[in-house]
Amino acid sequence: MKNRFRNALALAAAGAITLAGCSDPGADTGSDGPVSWPAQDADLTGTTLTIWAAQNSNTVPDSVIAGFEELTGAEVEVVTIPDPYEQGVQTKVATGDKPDLAFWQPTGSQLTALNASQNLQPLDDAPWLDAYKPELRDITGILDDTRYAALITTPAVEGVYYNKEVFAANGITATPTDWDSFVQTARDLKAAGVTPFHEMAADKWSTQWWVHVLLADAAADGLWDRVNANEEQFTDPTILGAIESYQALIDEGLFNEDIKTATFEDQGAALLAGDAAMVMQVNSYFGQLQSLADTEELNQKIGFFPISPSGNTGTFIPDQSNALVAFKTGDEQREAAARQLLSYWMGDGYQDFVNAQSTVSLQAGVETPADVPEALLSVSDSVGTSVGSMQAQAIANPDLYIYLADMIQGTKTPAEVAEATQAQFAELAKAQGAEGF
Amino acid sequence: MLAKGKAGPRHQDHPLWFLIPALAVLVVFFLVPTVFNFVYAFTDWSSFKSAINFAGFDNFTSLFTNGTLLNSLKVTLLYAVLVAIFQNAFGLGLALLLEKDTRVNRAVRVAFFVPVIMSALAVGYIFQALLKPDGALNGIIGWFTGSDVSIPWLGSTTWTIVVVAIVHAWKWMGLSMLIYLAGLKTISEDVLEAGRLDGAKRWTMFSAIRFPLLAPAVTFNVATALLGSMNGFDIVQATTEGGPGGTTELLNIYIFRTFGQGLFAQATTMSLILFLLVAILAFPVIRYLRKREDVL
Repeated sequence: MKNRFRNALALAAAGAITLAGCSDPGADTGSDGPVSWPAQDADLTGTTLTIWAAQNSNTVPDSVIAGFEELTGAEVEVVTIPDPYEQGVQTKVATGDKPDLAFWQPTGSQLTALNASQNLQPLDDAPWLDAYKPELRDITGILDDTRYAALITTPAVEGVYYNKEVFAANGITATPTDWDSFVQTARDLKAAGVTPFHEMAADKWSTQWWVHVLLADAAADGLWDRVNANEEQFTDPTILGAIESYQALIDEGLFNEDIKTATFEDQGAALLAGDAAMVMQVNSYFGQLQSLADTEELNQKIGFFPISPSGNTGTFIPDQSNALVAFKTGDEQREAAARQLLSYWMGDGYQDFVNAQSTVSLQAGVETPADVPEALLSVSDSVGTSVGSMQAQAIANPDLYIYLADMIQGTKTPAEVAEATQAQFAELAKAQGAEGF
Repeated sequence: MLAKGKAGPRHQDHPLWFLIPALAVLVVFFLVPTVFNFVYAFTDWSSFKSAINFAGFDNFTSLFTNGTLLNSLKVTLLYAVLVAIFQNAFGLGLALLLEKDTRVNRAVRVAFFVPVIMSALAVGYIFQALLKPDGALNGIIGWFTGSDVSIPWLGSTTWTIVVVAIVHAWKWMGLSMLIYLAGLKTISEDVLEAGRLDGAKRWTMFSAIRFPLLAPAVTFNVATALLGSMNGFDIVQATTEGGPGGTTELLNIYIFRTFGQGLFAQATTMSLILFLLVAILAFPVIRYLRKREDVL
């Protein structure tokens, strides 16, 4: 009996090993080639579309969905993927679970992370492309000359949100025009007893904006191309220097005292209350401010200016709430319906959408609603001339922000931050099969 | 036991093929995933491409040359040891306090067992809220001291790991308590009476008689707490997400982060390393603890 049991066990083990032959459950054989774009109002009764959204973007499509469902008879379901959204989506997609559409950061590194050529529908000949303002049409969403993402709102710009009242009270009448005057303004404010900058190292993610902004000139000069080709590294003087400059500003005491424990919520409250004069942030921060104050108060208190070492160039970083991608699900009818929803979103539904979201229109033919706060208009004005951030231009997106937060907590030196980031970047680039790694 | 040597009739009662349904479940849900875990560690599976190629020991070499893995391993071991100490200290303390079967004790035992069946993530988020600089704990301390207290309990690069280990131990101490209680109940009344007749005081009774006789419960509790917390993730993720400054980044959190980056094969390699670490640690720990039972 013992022998037979052993045999059975051996058989089972052998079977298991055979089953374990390598295959990627996320791989899908979608059909490529030219696709048709159904009319925006084509009948879709009986079709259900799923949109994956993050906790901060799951109400964004509401007005579009209402309009689309009424127009076509389709049913659109929004599924919220818990934070961290990108990780959750990537994991699901890797195991073969796909929605019809998803909010997604339209950058090269994040499209690569979704294995775009395999999993996403190309949107090259989308009907709404010509409606974009010319400077925004090709700013992002494109990987290897193929368009995979539909930009729906102004891409986020990294820059300085400041409290106008604090500036005025301290006799600052003009916003800084380059890095030196920016830091000088901070020192003047500190001398006057005001906390110049606010950073939130407990929530980590905004720490990288400082380094990106410090690299804006280098980015315009092709820094990320060189990093992508492994000709330059994070540990080389340019990027390491930016990390060291950031550390030096913190050491100088220009930041809030509770920098190690401060959170995103704290940051919004601090700027509105004037506890800090300036915050280096992106558009979602303004969303946080909007949840704390109305447009009138925001217009009165909050301003925005882009900054770079040599001037006022912004650094753009499209995020997950700015764009959507359409998945190859293998069901042609639903794939077409997903394209149709995007056509409607960026077509007949777009005016309603920008009105409902009180956001800046990307299209020349669609008016930006009058209730968009001034700071957001400044942000949107800076997009056209801005340079790409690491996420927008590098082929991979290492956890620079985590390592910078470690630096603020005191467990890493700037050199260690650069080393850890470079090591992770190289791993990711190697996994992608990038040349030079 | 009686059937020994009489395999014939027993075999007819229970033919081997009866095992097949159970075996199928075991193979599909346990054996295959484990084997996959081994196989994928030697490939270059990632979210960036659909082909999966054999990569040899590439993942292992790149992981061991990267300091983050070793740091996570250190943190994981420290965390496991801290949890094992706290969970057993709390559990044993509770068991001794609530040993008598009074009505109150029964109710209190239930209360202490409730966290065990609570969702670990929920526990983590509750403690995260309690331990914030402007959270309830500081509020209570501030009320007693009459001053404004804003201690960042989860913000110290030295002590946060201890705080998080205590939270973990708090959640599981009810289970340890239950097992220690069961252990205490199995101690023969005769032995205890003999001890008392010999004039043993309370402390001697505990240190010389009851604690040594609890050895099997200690073995189980220490081993499960130590090895179980090496697989810790949810409580730490909910309270600190591995921060501040990476000082609570358990291996599982690092695996989660690596997997989220799309480096699936590397994440698998790390989980294989964790598996091996737990296995390697389990044998000497359990052997040592079993040795203590030899006196029984």
